[in-house]
Amino acid sequence: MKITDLLNKNAIQLNGSFKNKEEAIDRLIELMTSNGNISDKEKYRQVVLKREEEGTTGIGEGIAIPHGKTNAVTKPGLSAIIVPNGVEFNSLDGKPAKILFLIAAPDSKDNVHLDVLSRLSTLLMDTEFKNTLLDAKTPEEFLMCIDRAEKEKLDENKNTNDSYEILAITACPTGIAHTYMAAEALEKKGEQLGHKVKVETHGSSGVKNKFTKEEIEKAKAIIIAADTKIDLSRFDGKKLVKARVADGINKPQELIKNALSNNAPIYHSENKQENNSEEKEGIGRSIYKHLMNGVTHMLPFVVGGGILIAIAFLLDDYSINPSNFGMNTPIAAFFKTIGGAAFNVMLYILAGYIAMSIADRPGLAVGFVGGILAVQGTTFASLTDSTITLVSSGFLGALIAGFVGGYIVILLKKICSYLPDSIEGIKTILLYPVFGILLIGIFMLLINPYVAGINTAINNYLSSMGTANKVLLGAILGGMMAVDLGGPINKAAYTFGTGMLASGQYEIMAAVMAGGMVPPLAIAVLATIFPKKIEKKDKQAAYVNYIMGLSFISEGAIPFASSDPLRTIPAFVIGSAVTGALSMVFNCTLMAPHGGIFVIATIGNPLMYLLAILIGTIVSALIMAKLKKNLPEYESQTA
Amino acid sequence: MKMKVKKVILKNESGIHARPASEIVKIASKYQSTINLIANGKQINAKSILNIMSAGIKSSSEIEIQCDGIDEEMAIQELETAFNNNFGEQ
Repeated sequence: MKITDLLNKNAIQLNGSFKNKEEAIDRLIELMTSNGNISDKEKYRQVVLKREEEGTTGIGEGIAIPHGKTNAVTKPGLSAIIVPNGVEFNSLDGKPAKILFLIAAPDSKDNVHLDVLSRLSTLLMDTEFKNTLLDAKTPEEFLMCIDRAEKEKLDENKNTNDSYEILAITACPTGIAHTYMAAEALEKKGEQLGHKVKVETHGSSGVKNKFTKEEIEKAKAIIIAADTKIDLSRFDGKKLVKARVADGINKPQELIKNALSNNAPIYHSENKQENNSEEKEGIGRSIYKHLMNGVTHMLPFVVGGGILIAIAFLLDDYSINPSNFGMNTPIAAFFKTIGGAAFNVMLYILAGYIAMSIADRPGLAVGFVGGILAVQGTTFASLTDSTITLVSSGFLGALIAGFVGGYIVILLKKICSYLPDSIEGIKTILLYPVFGILLIGIFMLLINPYVAGINTAINNYLSSMGTANKVLLGAILGGMMAVDLGGPINKAAYTFGTGMLASGQYEIMAAVMAGGMVPPLAIAVLATIFPKKIEKKDKQAAYVNYIMGLSFISEGAIPFASSDPLRTIPAFVIGSAVTGALSMVFNCTLMAPHGGIFVIATIGNPLMYLLAILIGTIVSALIMAKLKKNLPEYESQTA
Repeated sequence: MKMKVKKVILKNESGIHARPASEIVKIASKYQSTINLIANGKQINAKSILNIMSAGIKSSSEIEIQCDGIDEEMAIQELETAFNNNFGEQ
């Protein structure tokens, strides 16, 4: 029963104005009769009014749905009035009603009016829909709004026939044969049993036949037949059966039966992450995701290596041989060598995992090799002429290698998709690696001379930069850390800082980390010094921000920023920029890209570093104290 | 996660229309606990009347009441009673 079948344009009035509820209801009934479905108007009116006496139908939020079910109604119908200035309806929330719908239902057992009520409520829950109704200029427009909303919201049941009953994932460690055998077995058995099964294969050539969000939503159960780790977070709240990939091949019937039985366990994931499907992501978002996959995997190498190297410098004696600083004493050499081993591969890892994020497993090797070539700086000229000094393309080269490597593999996959499926195994184990590495090799050797030039230029510029420019850079990077607190802008500054570590520029990382520590610290200080600016229920969280800030977890400030962004974000940015600039002024250096206060021993000029953070924090807290008003809860109540 | 859960069968003939829905909201809103109804496979916030009515719960449906919070015990009892009394209807 569609709402638009029950409501005609003559039963809609858009500019109602009434003294009281009774007057409004009378007018609604008047409109209702235009549907030609009321045999006894007075009797229907009595029923509607009696229903109002039992309890108001003004359900709040400006909506009233009076109704009457009686044999004076020949067939179900609706009438509607918009009252721009509202009419008193004794509503549950005490507010006047602006949208009035009157329902007429015949006295039958089939509960039409419950259906109509349910459909109306579903639509009216959407504030935007409510507003379009209020803004409608003509009854026709009013009807069109409803029609559109009904199609969007309530017609989804039509598609259920096309959706899959069961979704299954198959995967095996090598990802060449078993994955696909299990997939075939499950699909075939499902067909025999009359259940529609879709299988997503996680093979060595990556994920194929990926489920959409919608498919997951509509599926009754999930089967995981895999011997490798599968991310299950997108199946939160679904019936889910786990088994070995061999079970998928040998006992598909049992798996399907178990999954559909009522005893199948419901899967709950601890951290529900938004896993948007690839095709819907914007370019910026997907580049960011690939870059972050690289950075995430690179970080442990940088943190571990950086801190060990810093310890080496800490323990070494500069006076023995300044040009060999860090390796002068055996103990220093020990730390520096181990740390160096980790440091040396960080850019390979970055390139490899960026490529892997783009092209799945086949991308890793291609990106990795591209990264090595970028770091070595090999060029075509250098191949035959050993007198040429190699210049590394550094961080920039590794980034390019990662992205280009990934897309080379994507391209290869496209080309290879024209080859027969029977050689699927050959593709991943032979074709992608050989041609992928060959192509990235050619590419890197071609671009290395230029990228190395740019990289060197950046390094030279940074090393020779005057104080004024350094301060400006520190302020910009520090500020960027605070703009979105862990979002893309923050990560861009952070990635730049880590990348510069690879080039031996340690001051930039220091400014970046200091800037990132300020926002949570500022919130904590604000809560301590100006307690009336922070809601009571958030106090505890605010104090925890001391620890967050000292640990360099900028994200701690997010809840406070999101509840009042206009007053907090500018304060964060200014405070962080001040700290970043001061860190540069004080020539602080940092070799570890994370760790906050816990790596203070490895920071160059630690006391001034703390001072820089302190000043920025106080600046930020004072700005917030000025911008934020004292909360009313402290004025009115004391408990 | 601990919370109180009770299953009831809706007995009143006309299902959960506007009046029982507002009864439920009136009761649920008195309590601090998070209160949800599960019916027709949908989770319904018992403090939102639109939410309840939109579910269109028909007579003899099975409904699960879930209360979670400091006053969950009281909340679930009062709601159960209201369901069992058919919200004062047939």
